[in-house]
Amino acid sequence: MIKSIELNETPVRTSKNFNANNIKINDIEIPDNISSFYNIDITGECSNIQVEQENNDYSLVYGLGNFLNEYSKAKSNKELNIIVNSKTPKEFILSFNFDENNLNLIENIKITANENCKATIIIKYKSDHNVNAFHNGIIKTIAKNMADINIIIVNLMNDSSNNFLSIENTLEDSSKVKYTIVDFGGKHSITNFYSNLIGNFSNNIINTIYLGKNNQLFDLNYIAELRGVKSNVDIEVQGALKDTAHKHFKGTIDFKKGCKKATGNENEFCMLLSDKAKSLALPMLLCSEEDVEGNHSSATGKIGEKELFYIMSRGFELKEAMKLMVRAKFNRIIENIKNEELKEEILNEIDNRLD
Amino acid sequence: MSNKLLEIKNLFVKAEEKEILKGIDLTINKGEIHVIMGPNGSGKTTTANAILNNPEYIKEKGEIIFDGKNITNTKTDEIARQGVFMSFQLPEEIPGISVTNFLKYAKSKATGKPIKVFQFKDELAKYMEELNMNPKNMERSLNVGFSGGEKKKNEILQMLVLNPKLAILDETDSGLDVDAIRTVSKGIEMFKNKDNAVLIITHNTKILKNLTVDYVHVLVDGHIVKTGGQELASEIEEEGYGKYKKEVSNNE
Amino acid sequence: MSKSKVKDIDRNIYDIKNKDEYDFKVKKGLTKEIIEEISEQKNDPQWMREFRLNALEVYNKLELPTWGPDLSELDMNEIATYVRPKSKLNTSWDEVPEDIKTTFDKLGIPEAEKKSLAGVGAQYDSEVVYHSMKEELIKQGVVYTDMETAIKEYPKLVKEHFMKCVPVYDHKFVALHGAVWSGGSFVYVPKGVKVDIPLQSYFRLNSPESGQFEHTLIIVDEGASLHFIEGCSAPKYNKINLHAGCVELFVKDNAYLRYSTIENWSKNMLNLNTKKAIIGKNAQVDWVSGSFGSKISMLYPMSILNGEGSKTEYTGISFAGKGQNLDTGFKVVHNAPNTSSVINAKSISKSDGKCTYRSLVRINENAKNTKSSVSCESLMLDDTSISDTIPVNDIKTDEVEFSHEAKIGKISDKAIFYLMSRGLSEEDAKAMIVRGFAYPISKELPVEYAAEMNNLINLELEGAIG
Repeated sequence: MIKSIELNETPVRTSKNFNANNIKINDIEIPDNISSFYNIDITGECSNIQVEQENNDYSLVYGLGNFLNEYSKAKSNKELNIIVNSKTPKEFILSFNFDENNLNLIENIKITANENCKATIIIKYKSDHNVNAFHNGIIKTIAKNMADINIIIVNLMNDSSNNFLSIENTLEDSSKVKYTIVDFGGKHSITNFYSNLIGNFSNNIINTIYLGKNNQLFDLNYIAELRGVKSNVDIEVQGALKDTAHKHFKGTIDFKKGCKKATGNENEFCMLLSDKAKSLALPMLLCSEEDVEGNHSSATGKIGEKELFYIMSRGFELKEAMKLMVRAKFNRIIENIKNEELKEEILNEIDNRLD
Repeated sequence: MSNKLLEIKNLFVKAEEKEILKGIDLTINKGEIHVIMGPNGSGKTTTANAILNNPEYIKEKGEIIFDGKNITNTKTDEIARQGVFMSFQLPEEIPGISVTNFLKYAKSKATGKPIKVFQFKDELAKYMEELNMNPKNMERSLNVGFSGGEKKKNEILQMLVLNPKLAILDETDSGLDVDAIRTVSKGIEMFKNKDNAVLIITHNTKILKNLTVDYVHVLVDGHIVKTGGQELASEIEEEGYGKYKKEVSNNE
Repeated sequence: MSKSKVKDIDRNIYDIKNKDEYDFKVKKGLTKEIIEEISEQKNDPQWMREFRLNALEVYNKLELPTWGPDLSELDMNEIATYVRPKSKLNTSWDEVPEDIKTTFDKLGIPEAEKKSLAGVGAQYDSEVVYHSMKEELIKQGVVYTDMETAIKEYPKLVKEHFMKCVPVYDHKFVALHGAVWSGGSFVYVPKGVKVDIPLQSYFRLNSPESGQFEHTLIIVDEGASLHFIEGCSAPKYNKINLHAGCVELFVKDNAYLRYSTIENWSKNMLNLNTKKAIIGKNAQVDWVSGSFGSKISMLYPMSILNGEGSKTEYTGISFAGKGQNLDTGFKVVHNAPNTSSVINAKSISKSDGKCTYRSLVRINENAKNTKSSVSCESLMLDDTSISDTIPVNDIKTDEVEFSHEAKIGKISDKAIFYLMSRGLSEEDAKAMIVRGFAYPISKELPVEYAAEMNNLINLELEGAIG
């Protein structure tokens, strides 16, 4: 069906005229008949990581909105229940590859990291160049006491596909959940990210890079609710937009009553590589607990002329110099990825997209 | 009348869940200059903060008597008004209130009397000249954007203006360049008389070069392990704390 | 550190109630008949009669905002929108009726006029009771009068500008304002004239269960400059009062306007005020804003930078105490190249008070070489207060330097200890830190206002921290 949908509502509304409360997508094709999705690779060290093919938990506190949440429940074609029992860090890779026989993916993934357990889980979405793929996924993570989990999400879909993703995390005492999100593909790439830091001393780190070209639209709605004593959240988002690409970043750090000595930091930087690119940011700090520290900073602008000139004076042409600058900005986040093959793939993708 | 100004008896103090002071005794009489020396982490700054009853430092045992009054659990401001001053190693920056206004306000609190503006200004000008301070800084916000040296001078200036009975100078982590040392010695020289006392807290002996001190106490791991005269400082300058550290570990 | 306790604060002079004596008061509510009655009473020209009725229609069509504070307790059927005081417009304080004059005396208005102002307007309920300006400014062609007089004496100028900067369909309460507005000031500063001493209008709402809807229209012509101060207060009643004023500022090429406000409405007031400036080439508007009173405030002054090279600065502070919900901030739209904006917002909340900083920075496609920086800082004084920061930054071109910083937290224990070690009590130490926090705003105000602001801070902090 062809539909217009309003989705990804912010937890708190502001003036309608500011066009930031949600996002509206007109006339988007939502597939009705979903066939199975077979093209999935599971690699890495699977010992002590248990994977079940059933997961009925579709409840979401926020998600992308009623329509897509219900759609997931009705149309899901992949359920995964991943239970991490490893005490030493393991790397586990899930690759979803869209092609003409695997066009639509409506998956529901649950990751439970048990007490004291550790793992790196890489989830990659990639599509062939010539398909119009549709993705609407749910990734829900529960980090039990002292669990330490590292989740890497890589979106390398093509620019004619639609990418929707709802992420939800629950962090128990002293747990650590670190996300590295590489968000490159999709005509529309819409992400809702919600973390509930209920645990004392829980720690959530989110590092995201996005890179938009042509008329791509990115809508990132990140929400972290701090409830535990001395809980901490750090959000860093680095992005670059060229052509007529659009990005909305909405980040909410919500200090709930009782989260004494909690800290929250949010930094957002957007490089505009064209005068037609557009960047909207709504970085919210909500606070009903006094004994906290919340900071936010954001900056938007062109690549510095001076830096650009410096690099060009070393013999790089403009495009190469720009690539270099974008890579430099992204590098700190990409360094989180220890898998060399994947890292290389991402760096190549950056180069391709900036060509 | 007793000559005793400060008396610390069997003091145990905890900070951030850690036992720092493990039974300190110290008596300071009017007219004396005392020095507490000790390696990093021995409890020097804790001692100063405990005297001022910083709520971040929890007293487990013992008491502190100042000028005949038990101030173990007295609020910081009350202790300050009774005549104890502490110069901070890292003074807080307070935006929006000028040094002059702050000093006027603090002085009126200390004396409980309104300030005589002209007399106060003269006094201030005199001290500033002696300390070689830039008068422009007086209109700037308290400590905001001050260099290390400017902060140090500002602390000493506050000591002179507030004229306490006991001045505690916390010089623990300072790089103590020549200028800072001069500021501190000059300040003490201007401040000191037979009715007041000074307690210098440091791990650096340079500061004692231009001063005549009455007592040197060596603080290691929360205990005062030795008390002596000025010569003890020279000894430490040459030999370090090594032998005292050993003594402590042997005892434990 | 010990916890806060709160007692109801005696806002002394601000709370002096006069008897609710008036010459005329419309029935409560909002109907076509009531609007026509206001037009009749005010002897509106025909265009204004039509304007009001049209605005009423818009009001009835528009929805309440779906965001921000809950306004459900506002019942327009319980509000008298027009209350004419028992006084005509005077140009000498001696002619102002005794009880009204006493109120303004206590608020220090005539005194300030003598000392430091070039002109004063004073509104009591729905009408301006006093207006006066220094002789030399009149000679230079400066106009400073009440809106009613302006409509009669400068019909073309008023009609050309009235609600052109803030159109009635902007939001529901602007439409309401368009329908029932009364009073306010009109200022015209001719080309090249620099008014060095500030003009000030003071708005006092005395009548219970009523609204004040003054309209301020200021035109600063090319190359001219002005500092305008607005003060507001009201005594406290148990029922809701409403303030929905409107401020329109037209600042032409190369002109300068500083607009300062100290708002101290009583804590039964809903303050839904709208202020907007349209700024010409190389012109500048600086806003200085202190919000202390009211039960609910929704107030977001706006600068529209239409002229190349135009500038705006916003310096604002909000202080929300018990029972207050102050939703304030700033909006700026960059519509031309080489424009710049600087936003400096602070808030303090205590005793279940809520402060929200809400803002919009929009940099449009053609606003090449634009600079914008935003800084907001929120201070929470106890564990029942609430503080939210909700800024939207909407950037549609690449030739910009945009930065935004926000900080939220409490007074540092270390800073309190430092000040206490100098003999200040905990209360004094906190008050000093809070005053220091507010200083960047109070220093932008004229001395008397800075003193008033510090007074208000002290009033708010009194007994609140201990």
